[in-house]
Amino acid sequence: MTTMIQVENVAKTFTLHNQGGTRLPVFDDVNFTVEAGEALVLAGASGAGKSSLLRILYGNYRPTSGAIRITHAGRPVDIVSAVPRTVLDIRRRTLGFVSQFLRVIPRVSALDIVRDPLLARGASQGEASDRAKAMLTRLNLPERLWNLAPATFSGGEQQRVNIARSFVDPSPIMLIDEPTASLDAANRDVVVELISEARTAGSAIVGIFHDEAVRERVATRYLDITSFRKAA
Amino acid sequence: MTVHASFPDAALEPAPLLTVSGVSRFYGERIGCADVSFDLWPGEVLGIVGESGSGKSTLLRCLAGIDKPDAGEVLFRAGPEPLDIYSVSEQERRRLMRTAWGIVHQNPRDGLRMDVTAGGNVGERLMDRGDRHYGKIRERALDWLQRVEIAGSRIDDRPRQFSGGMQQRLQIARVLVSEPRLVFMDEPTGGLDVSVQARLLDLLRVLVRDLGLAAIIVTHDLAVARLLTDRLMVMKDGHVVEQGLTDQVLDDPHHAYTQLLTSAVLSV
Ligand SMILES: Nc1ncnc2c1ncn2[C@@H]1O[C@H](COP(=O)(O)OP(=O)(O)OP(=O)(O)O)[C@@H](O)[C@H]1O
Ligand SMILES: Nc1ncnc2c1ncn2[C@@H]1O[C@H](COP(=O)(O)OP(=O)(O)OP(=O)(O)O)[C@@H](O)[C@H]1O
Ligand SMILES: [Mg+2]
Ligand SMILES: [Mg+2]
Repeated sequence: MTTMIQVENVAKTFTLHNQGGTRLPVFDDVNFTVEAGEALVLAGASGAGKSSLLRILYGNYRPTSGAIRITHAGRPVDIVSAVPRTVLDIRRRTLGFVSQFLRVIPRVSALDIVRDPLLARGASQGEASDRAKAMLTRLNLPERLWNLAPATFSGGEQQRVNIARSFVDPSPIMLIDEPTASLDAANRDVVVELISEARTAGSAIVGIFHDEAVRERVATRYLDITSFRKAA
Repeated sequence: MTVHASFPDAALEPAPLLTVSGVSRFYGERIGCADVSFDLWPGEVLGIVGESGSGKSTLLRCLAGIDKPDAGEVLFRAGPEPLDIYSVSEQERRRLMRTAWGIVHQNPRDGLRMDVTAGGNVGERLMDRGDRHYGKIRERALDWLQRVEIAGSRIDDRPRQFSGGMQQRLQIARVLVSEPRLVFMDEPTGGLDVSVQARLLDLLRVLVRDLGLAAIIVTHDLAVARLLTDRLMVMKDGHVVEQGLTDQVLDDPHHAYTQLLTSAVLSV
């Protein structure tokens, strides 16, 4: 087995300077590892810190202390202390983040948004187009939308563009935060399949899913983060 | 899963393009900027944000070779050996400014020759670089006008016949035609209305990515910073109070001032 993520003594406390310096402890002393080919589902009540932990794994939130070793190009790299360009390189090649929301870039078409990660990783124009189209078809995005910029799409359509972009070439590590929140049953099934396929192909998955049925189909292991709550 | 083997390891890149250490500039008793240090690597886009008067333009002028800092040094690597841009001769610094880096001013009038045609404004930079073949220069100027979405039929018009947004795009063409490795921009979308801004931003985003440029962009607009930059530096009263990856600084700001800045905006 290959360890893809190693979380060591991670703690997070938010300090709200403009609210009288209020300190908001979220968790403390978090330790776990994730192997290639497994899907770890984070559990815990709303506000427990599931999304914060996922963002810390991505290098988006900065933990108050601790280290996160990501296996990148065969070597463990601490994403917490890495310089910005190394974090960006890790994200480009090793770490994918799937959220419920698409960050719309003005004037870029849905098809180009989905093609982009393939091109960034060196695929040919033709291959990138073919794979992007196949993914959009699988997620039932009507063909008439492919060449339009998603700014005017519905929430569910934008969400599917985002999922297509994330799964068109799954990263060795996929971090997933509530990807099915506003999808119908058919599209939800497609997302569950995409996650399982990525995992079977060797990706390490860490995810958050409110829908219990989805959770049970995806998870190979659970981690209840309430147990890391800081003793007040 | 695709095997992503074709990428050079970031750790193997030779050296930063720009190394800034302890740069300070004072106006009498007043601090312009104080003790600023950072490295900029090839292809990186750095944003500088902060309120009015926080020292963003002062710092940019020091970095771009326009205004000598009172302390500190700016090293630029054009070749194998780093150059201290303020210890080389005036002539050498001007040559660097014309060939290796470019400056996009907030007011296009500061970066354009208003009495020279659009084609001349772009072509002039190629001549500075040593190009002499008139036909080729005109051809490249035409190509660049089209890349910044100015119709080729306007090549012989003068900038004063252009709208503000077009002037700004022309300035960008003039700067990028000479293929600089580093571009400085001070509020490149300031003074333009929102729809023109969006188009210009998209253009900049694509150009910066396709040309692999390193850039330093001053803006007070956090949405612009989010869209265009990899890293962010937050300034207050001349000092850098926080810096890091752009999404880190905007999503999980640590300094009181950055928290104020990001909370003042509903969604960036
Ligand atoms: N950027 C931030 N700044 C300040 N506090 C934050 C920030 N992000 C999250 N928090 C706080 O951290 C705590 C954990 O939030 P988080 O979003 O991680 O919870 P969650 O477990 O994902 O909840 P949910 O199930 O509702 O999505 C909350 O109290 C939240 O208000
Ligand atoms: N030439 C000058 N002479 C004297 N003081 C100056 C000069 N240029 C700038 N300053 C002062 O230095 C400080 C920083 O100014 P600077 O122009 O760098 O701010 P800025 O962050 O670019 O602001 P803005 O967002 O308004 O453009 C200000 O207090 C300003 O008044
Ligand atoms: Mg959450
Ligand atoms: Mg200024």
